[in-house]
Amino acid sequence: MKKKVLAMAMMGVMAMSLMTGCGEKAASQTGTEQSENQTQAKSSGQAIRIVNGKIEIDEALKAFAKKYQEKTGQEVIIESLGGGADINGTLKGYLAAGNMPDLFVFGGEGDFKTWKDYMTDLSGEEWASQTEFSFKDEAGKVVGFPYAVEGFGITYNKDILEKAGVDPASLTSYDAYKKAFETIDSKKEELGITAVCSVAAESGQMYWSTGNHLFGYYLSGGLKRGDTTYIDMLKEGKTDTGRLGEFADYMKLLFDYSDPTTLISGTYDDQLALWAQGKTAFITQGNWIDPSLPDYQVSFDCGIAPFAFTKNEMKGILADCPSWWAVYNKGTQIDAAKAFLKELALSEDGQKCLVTECGMISPYTSNKLSPSTPLAMNLKTYVDSGNTYSWEWTKMPEGIAMNATGAVFELYAKGQIDRDGFVDMMSTAIADYVK
Amino acid sequence: MVEEKNRKIIAAFVLAFGTFAALIALYLDVFHREAQIRGGLLVIGLLFLLTGVRLYPVKNRKRMVNILFLLPLLAAFGITVLIPFVFGIFYSFTNWNGIKFTQFVGLNNYIQMFQAPDYLYSLFITFLFTVLNMTTVNVMAFALALLCTSEVRGKNFYRASFFLPNLIGGIVLGYVWQFIFNKVFPSLVKGSVSMLTDPNLALIAILIVSTWQYAGYIMMIYVTGLQSVPKDILEAAGVDGAGRFQTLIHMKLPMIANTFTVCIFLTLVNSFKQFDLNFAITNGAPSRILGAKAIASTEFLALNIYNTAIAKNQYALGQTKAVVFFVILAMVSMTQVYFSKKKEVEL
Repeated sequence: MKKKVLAMAMMGVMAMSLMTGCGEKAASQTGTEQSENQTQAKSSGQAIRIVNGKIEIDEALKAFAKKYQEKTGQEVIIESLGGGADINGTLKGYLAAGNMPDLFVFGGEGDFKTWKDYMTDLSGEEWASQTEFSFKDEAGKVVGFPYAVEGFGITYNKDILEKAGVDPASLTSYDAYKKAFETIDSKKEELGITAVCSVAAESGQMYWSTGNHLFGYYLSGGLKRGDTTYIDMLKEGKTDTGRLGEFADYMKLLFDYSDPTTLISGTYDDQLALWAQGKTAFITQGNWIDPSLPDYQVSFDCGIAPFAFTKNEMKGILADCPSWWAVYNKGTQIDAAKAFLKELALSEDGQKCLVTECGMISPYTSNKLSPSTPLAMNLKTYVDSGNTYSWEWTKMPEGIAMNATGAVFELYAKGQIDRDGFVDMMSTAIADYVK
Repeated sequence: MVEEKNRKIIAAFVLAFGTFAALIALYLDVFHREAQIRGGLLVIGLLFLLTGVRLYPVKNRKRMVNILFLLPLLAAFGITVLIPFVFGIFYSFTNWNGIKFTQFVGLNNYIQMFQAPDYLYSLFITFLFTVLNMTTVNVMAFALALLCTSEVRGKNFYRASFFLPNLIGGIVLGYVWQFIFNKVFPSLVKGSVSMLTDPNLALIAILIVSTWQYAGYIMMIYVTGLQSVPKDILEAAGVDGAGRFQTLIHMKLPMIANTFTVCIFLTLVNSFKQFDLNFAITNGAPSRILGAKAIASTEFLALNIYNTAIAKNQYALGQTKAVVFFVILAMVSMTQVYFSKKKEVEL
C-alpha cells in the first residue's frame, strides 16, 4: 500500500516537473525563433517583446525595431501573428505559460474585457494627448496604443464614375446613390463593366464584411464620434426599426446592382478581383485593399465614398484604429515598452515606419507625413477634415457577425427575405444573441 | 536490524529533502517567480527523491523498478490525455474564459447549451451527416475494394489513385473543392448557381468531398479483409456451383464481418468529428430560415464548438459542448461496436 502511494506521489511530481519543463521550453523557443532579429549591439537589460496582430507590417516594424536598437541599445523583438491565426488563443497560451509579451495587440471591447486585468494605464503618455483614436477603458483611462487608422465605405473607381458623369463627392445619401447606380447601370456596355457594384454577402466567409463593416454604418454612420446610441441599444438586444429600415433599403439597392454570382457565393478575392479588373464601379471594402492594387495592375484612380444609407446627408466614412497595443502590466519592461511606443508614435523615424513603410495613416496629430497609396491618401482627407465616424461595431458582442447577423445578410442577398423580413430577422437575431 | 533502521532514517531524510526542493521549484514556477534556480532545484529535488526511493529498504524492489520504467509512458499519457480531460470537465462547470474563471456555475452551461437552437440544429445536422456519410463512404469503399481485388487490369494503379485523396490535407482539399463548386460547376452547367448557396445541396457538397476523400482509405481496409478470405473455401464453393454473387453474399461478407466493424467504426467517428472540410468548404454557410430565425445550415458539432470557444470567446460553454460531444461519440461508437461484434464469425 505504502509503495503504491509513494509511486503515485512520484508520478505526480514527475508529471508536474514535465509541465514546468514545457513552460520553460516554450519561452526559450520563441526566444530563439526571434533571435535572427537580434544583433550584437550592446543591449541594456532584457529585450522587450511585442505581439503584433498585423502581419502586413511585420517587416517595416522589424526594420524600425533594428533602428531603435542602434539608437538606444534597447532590443525589441517583434512577433507577428495573423493571416487567420487565433491571436487571442495564442496570447492565452502565452499567459498560461508565463511567457506574456510586454506589448500585445487587442481588437476592441470584447478583447478588452478579456484582458483588462493585464493592461497598464497609459494616460500620462505624451502621445495620448495627440490622438483621438486611443482605446479608453470605462473610467476614461487610455489603455490602448493606436498605430493606424483604417477606414471603409463604398470604394469607387474614379475613372468609371467620371466617364459616366457621376461626381463622387455627390454620393452622400440614398437618393444620390440610387441615381448614380441607375446612371451607371444604363451605360454598362459603354463603360465596359458587368455590374455596378461588387458586394459579397455569403455568410461563411464574408460575414466580417457584411455583419461587421457594413452593419457598422447602421451603428455609427452619420453620428458624432463617441455617440454610442445604437451600440448601447444593440447591447441590450434592441434595434431602431426606423434606422434599420433605411439601412435595409440601401442594402437592397446595393444587392440589386451587384454581380449576382459574387454576391451569393463570392469570396473576398472574387469580390476584389471583379472591382480591381475594372468590371464594377464600386466595392464595399476599405483602404486595406491598397496593397493588393499592384497585384491587379490597377491604373485607375480610386477613392472611398460614404456608405450613405440615410435619406439625410452623410458626408463622412467610418474610420478608426483597427486594433490597439496594450502594455502588459505585470511585465518587467513597462518603462522600456512605454519609451518604445513614444518613439514609434512621435519620432520622425516612427512616423516614417507607420506611414511611409507600412502605408497606413498615422492617428497622431503631430504627424506631417502623407501616405502614398491612393485609398490611404483619400482616407486621410476625411481624417484631416474630421469627417469620420467611430467604429462602434467593434463593441458588438463577440462573434455576433459570424454566428448571427451574417446569416441574415446572406438570406437578404439571396432574396429569401424582403425588407421587412430583414428588419425583423435582424432584430430577433440580435435579441437572441445578446440574451 | 539497526542497520536497516539507519538506512530507513537516511532514506527518509533524502526523500524529505527531495520533496522539499521539488516543491519549492514548483512553487516558484507556478506563481511565476523569476528565479533562475528553479530548473536546477527541480532536477536536484527529483534526483534526491529517486535516490531516496532507491535507498529505502523494501522487500519487492523489482516491482518498484518496474513501476519506475513505466513512469515516462504514464506521465506522457497523463499529461496529454488524462489531465486535459479532467481539466476540461472541471472547466465546463465554471465561467472560464480561457485565462481564468471567477465562479462555479454548476450545470448552467449544460442547460444553456441545450436551450440554444443553433446547437440543437447542429446536433441534428451532424447526426444526419454521420448517417449519410457512413453509408456513402462504406458503399463506395466496398465497391472500390471489390474492383481492386477483381481480375481487372492495372488494379494496383487504381488502388494507389483511390487512396491518394486521403493524403491531401483537409483544409487545402476544402478550398480546392470550394473553388470547384463555386466556379467550375456553374460554368460547366450554364445558368446554374453554386451548390454551396443552397442549404441542402451544400450538405451534399460536403458529403461528396468527404466520400471522395475517405473512401480510398476505407477501401484499403476492405481490400485487406477480402484478401484474407481463404482461397480454398472459395474454391470449394465454386465447385459446389456457387456463383460470384452468391459467394459474395454468403461467403465473403460474413467472413469479413470484423472488417466491417472496423470500417464502420472509423467512418462513424470520422464523420461525427468532421471539422476541416466543413470549415474550409462552407464554414457553416449558407443560412437557412428556421422558424423566422436565420441559422447556419451546415455547421457541424465540431465547428459549432470551435465557433463557440474562439469566435464567441465563450471558452467554458465551448468546453461544455466538447464534453457532451465526447459522451455522445463514446456512446454511439461503443453501441455500434457492440452490435457489429455480435455479427462477426470466428474462423
